[in-house]
This record gives sequence, C-alpha cells and structure tokens, in this order.
Amino acid sequence: MYNTDMDIGKIKKLSKIAFDIAQAKRNALEGMRSRQVMAYNERLFLADAHTINLVSTLKQHRKDFHVLDVNDNPCHIQDPEDFLSRLIERNQETLNNYQQIHKDLAKRGQ
Amino acid sequence: MTTGVLIYCFDTPRFKYHKLAQRCVAQIRKYLKLEITVVTDFETFKCFDPMGIINYKLVEPTKNNHRFYRGKNVPWHNRERSMAYEHSPYDITILMDCDYFVFSDHLLEMSQTDFDIMLHNRVSDITGKNMIEGVYESCLPLVWATVTLFKKNQNARAVFEMIKHVQEYYSHYRNLYRIKYTNYRNDYAFAIAMHQSGVGTYIPTAMSMLASDVDVIDTDDSTIVFSHKGQVNFIKDRDVHVMDKEWCDG
Repeated sequence: MYNTDMDIGKIKKLSKIAFDIAQAKRNALEGMRSRQVMAYNERLFLADAHTINLVSTLKQHRKDFHVLDVNDNPCHIQDPEDFLSRLIERNQETLNNYQQIHKDLAKRGQ
Repeated sequence: MTTGVLIYCFDTPRFKYHKLAQRCVAQIRKYLKLEITVVTDFETFKCFDPMGIINYKLVEPTKNNHRFYRGKNVPWHNRERSMAYEHSPYDITILMDCDYFVFSDHLLEMSQTDFDIMLHNRVSDITGKNMIEGVYESCLPLVWATVTLFKKNQNARAVFEMIKHVQEYYSHYRNLYRIKYTNYRNDYAFAIAMHQSGVGTYIPTAMSMLASDVDVIDTDDSTIVFSHKGQVNFIKDRDVHVMDKEWCDG
C-alpha cells in the first residue's frame, strides 16, 4: 500500500534539492573534464585515467613513442617522464577540486 | 607569434551590448591576460567606459538582421564577423562574442596547440533542461561560432572566404542545408563553411551555456548565480556563454 499521509510540500522540497544537487554534480563533472584538457607539444590531451594508463604503459617499453590526441592527431612524445608527470598533476588537480565540490554537495543533501 | 582576443560589439535599440563587452573585457584581463581588439561602431564606442589599453576598430555594421529573444523579434548586428580574418591584427586570434565570459585560462591552453580554425561543436545547458539545442533544425553538423580560434594561414583564410560567400548567398545555402531559421546566423555560416571546405577542428569540451530564459542574478569574478523558473543555482570557474542580454544593465 502507498503511504497516503505523505506531505506533498515536503516531497516537492526534497525533489527540488535532489534535482539541484544532481545538476550541480553534473556541472562539476563537466567542469572537471573541461579542466582535464591540456596542451602538450601543440596537441590537446585529456588528463584522464585512460591517457595516464596508456602513457604509463608505453613508457615502460619505449624511450619515445607516438600517441593520438583528442582530435586524432598524432603526437611524438620524446620525454615520456615529463608528459606523464604533467598528466598526473593535472588529473589530480581536477580531482581534488571535484572532491571538494562533492563534499559540499553531500552536506547540502543532508 | 602574437595572440589576442577579437570582440564584436554593436549596441542595438534594444540591448546595451557595450555593457556586456565591458564585463567580458574584465574577465579576459583577469584570466587570459591577452591583448584585446574591439570591433564596434562609433555610436557604441562613445558609450564605453575607459577600459585601459584596448584596440578599437570602428566599422559601420549592416543592420538588416533580427533574432528572436524572449518572445520578441529584436535587431541583431552580426554580419561583420565574417570579416574577422581581416579585422584581426593577431597571428592567433580568439574571436569571442561579447556575451561569452571567461572564468578560466582554458582558451589560452587551446591557443597553444596546432590548428587552423577551432570552435565548439557541442553545448552544455547548465540548467540541465536541454533548452539550447533544438531538433530537426538543419541537416548540417552544427558548430557554435561563439568562440572561434583561428591562425593567420591559408586554411583559415579559405574558411573565412567561404563564410563571406555563404553570407552573400545565404538563402541558397539555407535551402541546401534545410535550415529552419530564416534569419542569418553565424553558427550556420561557420558550420557550412567548415562542411564545404573540410577544414577545422573542434574544441574538445562542450560550451557551457545559459539559455535566454535564464536570468543572471549575481556574479563575482569567478562565479555566476542564475535562476530559472524559481530554481537558483551557480557555476564557478567555468567559461560561460550567457544569453540573458540585460544582466549587466544594472
């Protein structure tokens, strides 16, 4: 049986908060991904887990290598150590920011 | 290599675009720290507050275009943008609408890469209500001319020549690509030119937008607070295209 004693005003309020939080989270994620785009050797890369894993793996087998950027243009990576450290730095910077926003959103939901 | 921002700004009887441009310039100064050129007409130029070192280029805009805004048809002087290649004094130009506000150095990062012409092909409605993109509006891969990065080279020049051609024969191209809107829109002219010439790349992130029905209720230099149908939210540290044209009027 449904609970017919529910207060519609309260439900609307909760629903509004849930929508606002979901939207703020979506925007924060979009912002994080936007900030993860970084320029290197005149190409654009996304400093996400996929790129970091790829570069980390290739670095173990080659001194230099080619990778595709976000627009499918090839890029010659001559200093994998430098590239990887920049990717990780940007990735962690964006994730730290997102983590802070996530914490604030969790408080709003309580 | 010189890099700078090019802004087009013409006041209309309905909107004080110069107020938006002033705010736009302040944001560029804070986040991009680049040289700025404003292309405007003499009437608008007289309204600008002193903004420090800015290059002005005075032109007389073509005044026969309109747009739909909050239930009304309003004048829209947007045809001069096809001349951006000639108007820009920079090797690398960030061509920007005066209602686009930077809250990050994202565009600076883009400008340091290898491209001929680069713009957004995706948008993100910050309210989450998908009010920006319509369906069945054309049979063309749409791009957004709000922010366009281009270099002074043969390929970029070819695209701008194509844009001028599209503008001249817009009714033909409008029929060809089955564009729903009868007024001239730079988004479509740029999209057609890129489609015809096969030149250009896309900015890999979606352009954040606040639709024209969304009111901006407060801002500081890193945040915009907005309201839509009673719902208030904010966006921080992200570049935004704000379609509310009156929020700077005070």
